[in-house]
Amino acid sequence: MTELDPVIHAAARLRISATLASLDEGDRITFPRLQELLDMTAGNLSTHMRKLEDAEYVVVEKTHQGRTPTTYVSLTRRGRRAFEDYTETLRDLLGEKP
Amino acid sequence: MTDHTDHPAPTDHDDAPPSADEALALIREQQRSVERKQLGGIPWILGIWAIAWGAGFFALWSGYDGGNPWFSIPLGVAGTIFGALIVGAIVVSAVVGARVGRGIQGASAFSGAVYGISWMVGSGVVFAIGIALTRAGADSAVMSLYYPAGYSLVAGLIYLMGAALWRSVDQLVLGIIIAVVGAIAPFFGAPTNNLVMAVLGGGAFLVAALVMQLSLSRGRS
Repeated sequence: MTELDPVIHAAARLRISATLASLDEGDRITFPRLQELLDMTAGNLSTHMRKLEDAEYVVVEKTHQGRTPTTYVSLTRRGRRAFEDYTETLRDLLGEKP
Repeated sequence: MTDHTDHPAPTDHDDAPPSADEALALIREQQRSVERKQLGGIPWILGIWAIAWGAGFFALWSGYDGGNPWFSIPLGVAGTIFGALIVGAIVVSAVVGARVGRGIQGASAFSGAVYGISWMVGSGVVFAIGIALTRAGADSAVMSLYYPAGYSLVAGLIYLMGAALWRSVDQLVLGIIIAVVGAIAPFFGAPTNNLVMAVLGGGAFLVAALVMQLSLSRGRS
């Protein structure tokens, strides 16, 4: 049986990856907006974000907009590919592909 | 930070690995939810424009001599109603539209900004050409054909641009209809052109709003 990527294969990280993958390539999203789109607590999101960051699937950038610190999150090329492979594997497993 | 410090589990989605079909369902459900949260304001924008065009041009039609056969309203009042509706629709569109891509930065934010600026540039140009035509001697009857047609052309083309930017068939259809309405309305002559704008233009916005609302609540995938 094909292995499902354990970094993505957890409900929370799967939802995070799906959300980030729905952004256009080259776009990044603020941490609070991502939190809104996911309905997750900041702590929970940070925890899972750390695991995705360790696998180099997401990049977290801390910048300043004027004097306000802003954290942006985006999927890396590696992360986008991993998510695409993951969904493809799922479809394979479920026999959805021709 | 240690793991699971402030997990409000078990209500929050947790680490338990889902089965393959649960996982795929979770991905689809999440992407639909993102789409709803991001684009949920768009049907409202279209709905507001349906009211602005439908009621606004109907008011103008009722203001001109030879317009509405059932009742008429003073042209000044009709113009004020029309202006207020259009300005209101612009404000609502700008506020709701700015919220669509909030928190997102990058290539798409640039596209969104260009899209927003295009509305101002296009409307400004139509207005400026109108002033030039009036100065060159065009009378108010000609101008009452020109302005609705000019703005329809701009609106139609910008919806076509939106269709190209966001690969949206809804916007493609709406853009074509609005542009075509702008093209045919002047052939009806004044003031009937206003009725054409109200019914066909306002109607197109209304249908677009309903179609988009339906596809958002059902999900596209």
